Amino acid sequence: MSNLPRRAFLGFGALTAAGVSGLLTACSSSSDGGGDDAGATLRAAFAGGGSSETLNYFVGPTALDFVRARLVHAPLGAIDAGQPDGVSYGILESIEISDDLTSYILRLRDSVTFTDGSPVTASDLLHSLRAPDELEGLPFTRLVGRSFDLASARKLDRRTLRLPTAQPIADGRLLLCQSMLVIKDGTTEFTPKTPSCGPFVIEAFEPGQQTVLRRNPDYFGDDVNLDEIHLLSIGDAEARVNALREGQADFVSGVSPFNARDLAKTRGLTVRAGEPPYVSNLRFEMNLSHAPFKDERVRRAFRLAVDRQAIVDTVYFGRAEIGNDVPALGFPSYDTGLEQRSYDPDEAKALLREAGHEGMSIELTAGPELTGMVETATLIVENLRAIGVKASLNELPAGQLFADYEAYQRLPFAAGYNPSAPFEANHTPGTFPDVDKLVATARSAPAESDREAASHKAQGLLWEKGNEIIPVFVPTVDAHTDKVSGVRSLQFPDLSAVELASA
Amino acid sequence: MIRFGLTRGVTAAAMMLLLSAVLFFSTEALPGDAAGVVAGADATESERAEIRKRLGLDEPAVARYVTWLGDALTGDLGRSSAAGRPVAEVLASRFGNSVVLVGLAVAGIAVLATTFGLVAGLRAGRLGDRLLSSMTVTLIALPEFLLATGLVVALAHQGGMFPAVSIFPPGDSPWQHPDMLVLPVTGLVLGGLGVATRLVRAAVVSVAESPAIEQARLDGESGVRLAWSYVLPAAAAPGIQGLAVMAAGLLGGSLVVETLFNYPGVGSELARAVTYRDAAMVQGLGLALAGSALLILFVGDLLAGLLNVRSRPASWRRAERGAP
Repeated sequence: MSNLPRRAFLGFGALTAAGVSGLLTACSSSSDGGGDDAGATLRAAFAGGGSSETLNYFVGPTALDFVRARLVHAPLGAIDAGQPDGVSYGILESIEISDDLTSYILRLRDSVTFTDGSPVTASDLLHSLRAPDELEGLPFTRLVGRSFDLASARKLDRRTLRLPTAQPIADGRLLLCQSMLVIKDGTTEFTPKTPSCGPFVIEAFEPGQQTVLRRNPDYFGDDVNLDEIHLLSIGDAEARVNALREGQADFVSGVSPFNARDLAKTRGLTVRAGEPPYVSNLRFEMNLSHAPFKDERVRRAFRLAVDRQAIVDTVYFGRAEIGNDVPALGFPSYDTGLEQRSYDPDEAKALLREAGHEGMSIELTAGPELTGMVETATLIVENLRAIGVKASLNELPAGQLFADYEAYQRLPFAAGYNPSAPFEANHTPGTFPDVDKLVATARSAPAESDREAASHKAQGLLWEKGNEIIPVFVPTVDAHTDKVSGVRSLQFPDLSAVELASA
Repeated sequence: MIRFGLTRGVTAAAMMLLLSAVLFFSTEALPGDAAGVVAGADATESERAEIRKRLGLDEPAVARYVTWLGDALTGDLGRSSAAGRPVAEVLASRFGNSVVLVGLAVAGIAVLATTFGLVAGLRAGRLGDRLLSSMTVTLIALPEFLLATGLVVALAHQGGMFPAVSIFPPGDSPWQHPDMLVLPVTGLVLGGLGVATRLVRAAVVSVAESPAIEQARLDGESGVRLAWSYVLPAAAAPGIQGLAVMAAGLLGGSLVVETLFNYPGVGSELARAVTYRDAAMVQGLGLALAGSALLILFVGDLLAGLLNVRSRPASWRRAERGAP
């Protein structure tokens, strides 16, 4: 028995030696190998989702699943406030809306083909729109199905589709272009071999580790510069930053505010934050079934008590937008004319006294579901204590906040967030009937001016008496080497048009 | 010896059954379910109900336990509720990685802990022992994430010697990239070395005072020969049991190291599954980890039993006594 450790020791020593020599060769080949001959390869790291990552982006719960899908399957378009239609088109040539807002005509680009050589037709487009419902996609993929009557859709010709709406809506272009991708008719399973028509094709896929994408030579767009993209799954934010610093990645997504401040000062690295409308709203909901919150004055007092600038400065180090208690900052219908809510603890104290809830107790529940959520909640608790509220923080571990959704909805005061989405289509009715009515008008009135007026009026009501505090809008923060350019900040980073400068 | 093995085997199997029930019903008892996490904040009530039904969460728990156990015996561990991947497939890809990582780390710990433990134990109370003891206490006191972060700073950031995170090309196993194994293995070794060294040292100290070693000393044995041929064989049994406990714990418990170095092991996968209420994954991975932990402990017990003079069959003892 006594020679067991000895043998183990020898084995270990040999392995260490192999490790060191392996490292030396690995270093020299990896730094040179990615160079000019092989063409430009971008290595981009995302948080990923471990082994739950999937090519089926309807059920893939992580940002990486959608980032990957958007590189493989062509998008209908993207939300783009600078364009006359509010969207820029991808595989679609145009979306025309009937005057009564009850039907949409979608027209595909001419002569686009899938990787198996077959042309992209109206049948494929229709399947793509129905697939989220038919394949039981996650709720966020089913926005289009909620607003359009997909069962009654009709093909007008090879590349034109007529789509009736469920109720008259004017914001259908935004819904269609927010996250819809085109897949081939009949696709129900997703493998690396599944025909696609996006800028890249899948060469290899290992869930939770790496996806190798290679340029699609037959892609219809002309803004693809890379030959390969390696999507790396690195779950830990610190490990992602380490990969960027050590040259193992050229681009990393989801950088913490603290690391962002540090990386911005590092030579050779660039930090970029998403811009509105591609920001998540961090909200704190005051439950109207909790007695004190039934009083409008208490809700206003809570909103006035929050020092929003301090949150932007100390939690996000400046990389966030101040919120005004109204959602969907940056979308065309967002009312920029509303007065910015001030920070007024004295007025807040007076309102609480007036309402007879001076010194009330409240527990705020939050968890690390969005960058800075817990830190912001901590500051809000401090702010509330400053106006005499006996506030406390219930901090949950990651993944717990929404785990029991019914219990979550019963919390008196809870943090939450919504990813970037237009206000009207994502409005949940049932809290304020007058707001619900205005939102319905804002989606369906025939005249654009009426829609805008109704939307602004609804936002005005929410600003005045709503039960949400939206102190900040939070962007996704990415960092990359200075050689990388052309990253587009959409709902998630779009890497299709990235360029890599040679060293 | 055979009876000893059989008793231990039956105990392990009963233990396994008990663990499977504890595992299943404790994941059931958690508030909330995957439907709440998967659906997202903007889902409607009917969409939530539909997801719950699709994941089979509307059946009674006991019925699901029996079905699950039956399927597990045939190798079917169900599907992840996150994206529908078979749990067995995830297990197959992740478990091997963890075995490589933990195997190397335990080998490293065994060698270093034996060396340091012998040196310290045979010089108990002297300068060398005190130095080694301070070192081991320091290692035990340092949290794992601090050790791992220190490694990254020293060997990746400053030296640029080893890659800071493990990135394996699709289809490759960790074996093919030894450079990426260095930091995670070193992290685990440093994390476990303190406890293991103290364990070996304690065994060596008690053995060194025994009449047999005293006799060997009087016979003129000393130094390395005394340590290797007399002290180590006598102290090996508790040492092996200690290592077995450590290896069983590290297999699913190397979470900090796996996370910080992005090593694709089973621990980080388990943590993800717990976070996202992926019950099938938690149960499947948990069952596999519990099974292998029991197996390692079982083998450790058998080896220690073989080494322990007192538990050896009488015929062996007679044979030994008969030897010159």
